[in-house]
Amino acid sequence: MSESISVLKVRDVLLVTMPGDPDDATVSALQTRTLEAMEQHDVKGLILDLTKVEILDSYFARTVAETAQMVTLMGGETIIAGMRPSVAITATELGVTLGTTKTVLSVDLALNLAERQSKSSPAKSKRAAR
Amino acid sequence: MTEQERGEVQIEAESDIAAARRVVREVATKVGFGVTETVRIVTAASELGRNVHKYAGKGTMHWRLLNNGAKTGLELRFEDQGPGIADLDEALKEGHSTGGGLGMGLPGAKRLMDEMEIRTWKGEGTTVTITKWRRT
Repeated sequence: MSESISVLKVRDVLLVTMPGDPDDATVSALQTRTLEAMEQHDVKGLILDLTKVEILDSYFARTVAETAQMVTLMGGETIIAGMRPSVAITATELGVTLGTTKTVLSVDLALNLAERQSKSSPAKSKRAAR
Repeated sequence: MTEQERGEVQIEAESDIAAARRVVREVATKVGFGVTETVRIVTAASELGRNVHKYAGKGTMHWRLLNNGAKTGLELRFEDQGPGIADLDEALKEGHSTGGGLGMGLPGAKRLMDEMEIRTWKGEGTTVTITKWRRT
């Protein structure tokens, strides 16, 4: 049985929390659920919470990087939060990269960063860009 | 060696890759590997399990505990009856993929483990064996 992805709107951003060891179907659901929720909630960005994630293999990492790219295309920004040390070490040794996506230590820091960004660049808001 | 110290997981569906990861995590923890070493082993298993599913459709992951008196380890053997690897040197190169992936599966798994052995027969299948020894 696979665990599920949690999608929450917090202030101006979407907080997407991944389960600890998602199977491939759950990983690919990350993309569609995130992009759909981005549109529904009219948010400025995405915080991808990896606090619970126990393993980031090449498939999962590629999906995360692609999702961040798609969010950029939709006019939002992605912040990856809470990657565990063991996961960061292993992903690096494996050869995984997440492109130029911003990463921070915790969801708390990600929320602060998102708030600062929306204050300093209100023009980046999806509505304002239209 | 007792029966409990080895086992296998059938890899047939995509979800079996996650099932194999769970078994490997459980066994590696039982052997006494630390958190990061366990994540390395589980990640390598995920890459090789995905290769089995992607290239051969199905196969088996066999696991067994190793104990040579001086040290303890975990061996994982991925067996399939798929098409085999046409060019092994190429397959071990970074960024090479014939399956639409990133091409980091084999070289990445090799880096994460202590030992890796590949046997492949064209049209008959592939066996990849990886081993991690516990640091004492």
